[in-house]
Amino acid sequence: MNIIEIKDLSFSYLEDKPVLSNVNLEIKKGEWVSILGHNGSGKSTLSKLIIGLLKADKGEIVVDGLTLDEETVYEVRRKIGIVFQNPDNQFVGVTVEDDIAFGMENLCFEREEMIKRIDEYATKVNMQDYLKKEPHNLSGGQKQRVAIAGILAMNTDIIIFDEATSMLDPKGRDKIMEYIKEINNEGVTVITITHDMKEAVHSDKILILKEGEVLAFGKTNDILNDKDTLNSSNLELLLPLKLLYKIEEANINNQEIKDILWQLSLNE
Amino acid sequence: MAIKFERVNFEYISADGSSFKALKDINLEISDKGEFITLIGETGSGKSTLVQHMNALVKPSSGEVTVYGIKIYNDIKKKDRNVKLNPLRQKVGLVFQFPEYQLFEETVLKDIIFGPKNFGVKEAEAIERAKEIIKLVGLDESYLKRSPFNLSGGEKKRVSIAGILAMEPDILVLDEPTSGLDPKGRDALLELFTSIHNELDKTVIIITHDMNTVYKYASRVLVMSEGELVFDGDPLKLFTKKNLIDWNLDLPEIIQITRQLEDKLNIKINKLPRNVDELFNIVKGVL
Amino acid sequence: MKNIIIGQYIPGLSFLYKMDPRSKLIALMLLMVSTFILQNVFHILVMLSLVLIMLKIGGIEIGRIARGLRPIMILLIFTFTFQILFVKTGSLLYELQLDFSVYNILIAVGLFIVFLFTRKFMRFRLLYFLVIAAAIMTLFSLYSPGLYLGTRNIQIHTDGVSGAFFIMIRLIIIVTLSTVLTLTTKPTDLTLGLEQLLKPLSIIRISSEEIALIISISLRYIPTLLDEANKIMLAQASRGVDFNEGKLKDKVMQIISLLVPMFIISFKRSDELANAMEARNFVPGERRTRLHVLLWSRIDTIVIIVSALFVAGSIWVVVVW
Repeated sequence: MNIIEIKDLSFSYLEDKPVLSNVNLEIKKGEWVSILGHNGSGKSTLSKLIIGLLKADKGEIVVDGLTLDEETVYEVRRKIGIVFQNPDNQFVGVTVEDDIAFGMENLCFEREEMIKRIDEYATKVNMQDYLKKEPHNLSGGQKQRVAIAGILAMNTDIIIFDEATSMLDPKGRDKIMEYIKEINNEGVTVITITHDMKEAVHSDKILILKEGEVLAFGKTNDILNDKDTLNSSNLELLLPLKLLYKIEEANINNQEIKDILWQLSLNE
Repeated sequence: MAIKFERVNFEYISADGSSFKALKDINLEISDKGEFITLIGETGSGKSTLVQHMNALVKPSSGEVTVYGIKIYNDIKKKDRNVKLNPLRQKVGLVFQFPEYQLFEETVLKDIIFGPKNFGVKEAEAIERAKEIIKLVGLDESYLKRSPFNLSGGEKKRVSIAGILAMEPDILVLDEPTSGLDPKGRDALLELFTSIHNELDKTVIIITHDMNTVYKYASRVLVMSEGELVFDGDPLKLFTKKNLIDWNLDLPEIIQITRQLEDKLNIKINKLPRNVDELFNIVKGVL
Repeated sequence: MKNIIIGQYIPGLSFLYKMDPRSKLIALMLLMVSTFILQNVFHILVMLSLVLIMLKIGGIEIGRIARGLRPIMILLIFTFTFQILFVKTGSLLYELQLDFSVYNILIAVGLFIVFLFTRKFMRFRLLYFLVIAAAIMTLFSLYSPGLYLGTRNIQIHTDGVSGAFFIMIRLIIIVTLSTVLTLTTKPTDLTLGLEQLLKPLSIIRISSEEIALIISISLRYIPTLLDEANKIMLAQASRGVDFNEGKLKDKVMQIISLLVPMFIISFKRSDELANAMEARNFVPGERRTRLHVLLWSRIDTIVIIVSALFVAGSIWVVVVW
């Protein structure tokens, strides 16, 4: 069953400069889809459209059977959580526990339930010892973990990570990736938006955006095999993949090394 | 030596009274004769504090930093009332991580000439410099008339770098210049630094988290860990050291893949490759 | 720079900490009213001693309160001097004749200049100022050689003295009480308390919840903004903006170079923050539940009753005596 269906979606801020044109996308329940593109490819605009922060010029977005419009937008938002790029600009609460509670407060959760869930999800992202801490005493990675806990606590079916790791250092980035894998394994539909192919290879499917258009969409393995598309995407190829392509070009027929490089590309 | 650190310590006193040592006993020499240095280490290891000592934005709690012959120590302002630290900032140009911290004028041109004018360069000459430098940073002259706020992230970064380059510093220091950029933007910027380094013969110091940058570009690498300078030397030497993990550092991708191939193919590669082509040749030779 | 404490809250365990912020706010109001009802220096002294007893029971160090008084020290000294010098009712207590002449004015000016240049080396500047002021007074009353210019009499009357003490004590009480409030209440609780107390304003279409949300978001971002301002200052200093050594005419440009980035960053931030809040199902004006609830306990009722009785007592004292 498709939890998200996007049909012929177009959007522009200025009339003659389309940011997204005719985007089609179907995401199944429980899938992990990466939206991959360079800066300015329109990938973050797409996430804002899905959650109704921007209004499409053309096309349709259906989330869990609900067609997104002015009336359904609040209901759609209850199904989707989103972690944004800048850790500092999405931390609403004065303390960690206040921030985790913010979404639940808006959804009118009972106080006892909130306390229970704060405890549960703070522990899940390993922030249980920081509940009373203020944001300026936390690192960027810790703030992003708090944001994740706040969304998990709302029990949404879908979580979008909109370049959520791009302002973090490598250690913070790896931690967030681990939590994303875990969340997806527990059945939550995940969309990660990134320009880093290394992050994208972990997902089930990859959508490549180039200048607002869908360049390719398919299973991760198929996308990685599609040399021509990748080369035209302006994205940086993974190193083992580059080597693999070189070996194929030189007509070296050694299946062992090809298999090894393929595994390394998938980060297995 | 252009910059010399001698037993430099730096300590914060926070509002709750506890103190935090950001730098511990740093000894370091940097010349202005065309070095390409990368400075790496975990978040909070003292990298930014270290570079802020290089142009006297902060003064050491103890020890001294000598920048172009001027000794900077803790109570310099009390001992020597006439000392001017401002001119040092022209010699050592520091570009901050976010261009948003520095851009404020109506046009790119005005923003670029702001620095030079502060150091007493005549407006006409500053404008001449701006016209050259905007091309140097990979933008064309039409950008000079535009507002710095309507540019893309990568363009803003270039303008902010142009604003520092226009001061004609001998040493250019950049705090995480490539963070938030996509791979293409990152590579273009790193090529820019290489050409500044090669053609203008300036020393370039880059703070980064990206080991690929260190391996590909740097002639020297400094590693900070918990306020200490734990490594100062050749990048290749660093990446063959055993204690990388203690400093929470990764290997560059190319070395990672080489090591994994060695492991899986059961071979020994003596000379580490610098890029994919070299690795390809090695692999071809082995097969 | 990493550890900025918002507000003055210092954790503690006394009854003041156990109180509901609403009752603290109400009690503060009531006691402030009392200070304005009381008109006599002895009555207000009684009140001051009661306040001091409260501090003792509440386990609050006098030193902390003194620090709260420091910013209004100038105001205190000014009102005190003003009252003493210009109130001419009651009986005459003391009279000082000041003779002005060219020489003693010159010496006084000289002393003052010496004061201006030496004060930064003194530990107790206020005391130093008082000593210099006293020295100048003494000079005028005792030594007046050279060309004689005129005479002024300083007269101190009983009403002036009592009035000066009265006003000073009243100010001290008000500042002490408010300091006690901010010392013992977390900014978040204070905001919540204010929100509840301002609820009746919804009649005139002012939403106390929104006001409270605005205050709490501001509180959350103050340290971030300070940190950012510091970084912007360093970034501009790197471009030769000399915030310490610069000339006056450059000051305007320096301030602009600081303010413009601050504004631009803040606009972008508020935009992103609004998005993040909406994405987490925030709808302005809609009902929300709250993680923090205020709990009214017996202490609160007692404190309110005591404060109300105190107001009644003050009125009784003023009317009957």
